Amino acid sequence: MFMTGLFRARLWMCHGLLAMLLLTFGMTGSFGKAAAALPDDQRYPASGERLLLWVSSEHGRDPLEASAAESLSAAGVAVWSLDPSNSYFLPQLPRSMDAVPVQDVVDWVRAAQATGKEVSVYAVARSAVPVLRALATLDPAERSALCVILIYPNLYRVAEPLAEPDYLELGSLDGAVIRVLQPRRSAATPWLPGLVATLQLSGATVSTVMLENLRERFWARQTPTEYEIAEGRRLDVLLLREMEACR
Amino acid sequence: MSMKYGTGRRWWLIALLFMSLPAAAAGFQAQDSIPAPALVARDLAGVERTLADYRGKVVLLNFWATWCPPCRREMPSMERLRVKMQGRPLEILALDSVEPVEDVKAFLEIMELGFPILLDPEGVNTKRWKVFGLPTSFLLDAQGRIRYTLSGPVEWDEGEALQIIESLLAELPDQRKASGSAPKP
Repeated sequence: MFMTGLFRARLWMCHGLLAMLLLTFGMTGSFGKAAAALPDDQRYPASGERLLLWVSSEHGRDPLEASAAESLSAAGVAVWSLDPSNSYFLPQLPRSMDAVPVQDVVDWVRAAQATGKEVSVYAVARSAVPVLRALATLDPAERSALCVILIYPNLYRVAEPLAEPDYLELGSLDGAVIRVLQPRRSAATPWLPGLVATLQLSGATVSTVMLENLRERFWARQTPTEYEIAEGRRLDVLLLREMEACR
Repeated sequence: MSMKYGTGRRWWLIALLFMSLPAAAAGFQAQDSIPAPALVARDLAGVERTLADYRGKVVLLNFWATWCPPCRREMPSMERLRVKMQGRPLEILALDSVEPVEDVKAFLEIMELGFPILLDPEGVNTKRWKVFGLPTSFLLDAQGRIRYTLSGPVEWDEGEALQIIESLLAELPDQRKASGSAPKP
């Protein structure tokens, strides 16, 4: 009988511990969410009022992007640079960006906002997808406090010759302020109005900037023009200008 | 014995798989004889061209731009195809997508091409044909129906590309497939 009693007591203790664990996770969210730490980013601190969340494309962080982040930091803009392919061990393919955990990006944005700085988010190519999905998950007040800059965003679900473009469902972007930077020399240029309309339908306020004489990923081309080389070295200037334009 | 037969069959399947690889490599998409959208574009001489100008011929319609490296890479193979097919009813049309004509002329000073270059400065045709990446190519039969599409570059004068073009030419009546007696635009 004594053994049985001891066994029961231990059983109750185990149940109690389990319940406490469940309660703890219940309060902080799901197991998955609790396990999802902030993304592994590269930080460039600065004492100024602004913080730029920089999400590289599926191609990864280019040295010129890192250099631009350093320049921004020297100019007083803190930069948290995320390379999703590297951080999440994903193949360097556009579709890989769709697999970036949205909740991680949400937590990352909230951590940035918690610094009290004025936060902008800059996403390149397909990395716009996890950023916009995170934006849709944020509260409207959190969302509208952000300046979102997307350069040649790829939001297609399907884009096949002879068929109407099909864009991803992103969720509500009510109150979001988005600037789309589009290099002129891109197959996406004629389709910019459709992309803008899609973002507007989701509730975002969208403005566009055409980057003349430039191609997509102009800072990291294999055979760049002289102008692309020059503009690639001025990425920090471009981003400062666009952050200003968001104000 | 049955093991031998099984192994032999397996090798036969592997051989079949390898034989089918070149067909999959280029990525041509067969289409169900889709009627072609309208194509209205000026050539470098300012003459307006439509697909009706090329009816009775197999047409390779290639959307490209001078700033697009894969487009530039495949251009010489298109020129070699033109030379190889001289006198046969094949028309190669390269439609430059959303660029100033000056850029196209500057490019053609570097690369001499014998096939017509059409211009689409506002992207009207690019949008009508739903072209989302460059290069994108369409192969049309002599009735002007789209039979194949290809996203991305290919060597046009060899392999699967040449096979497909030959198969479309083979559909023409005998006197036309060899001599190219289709009406000139």
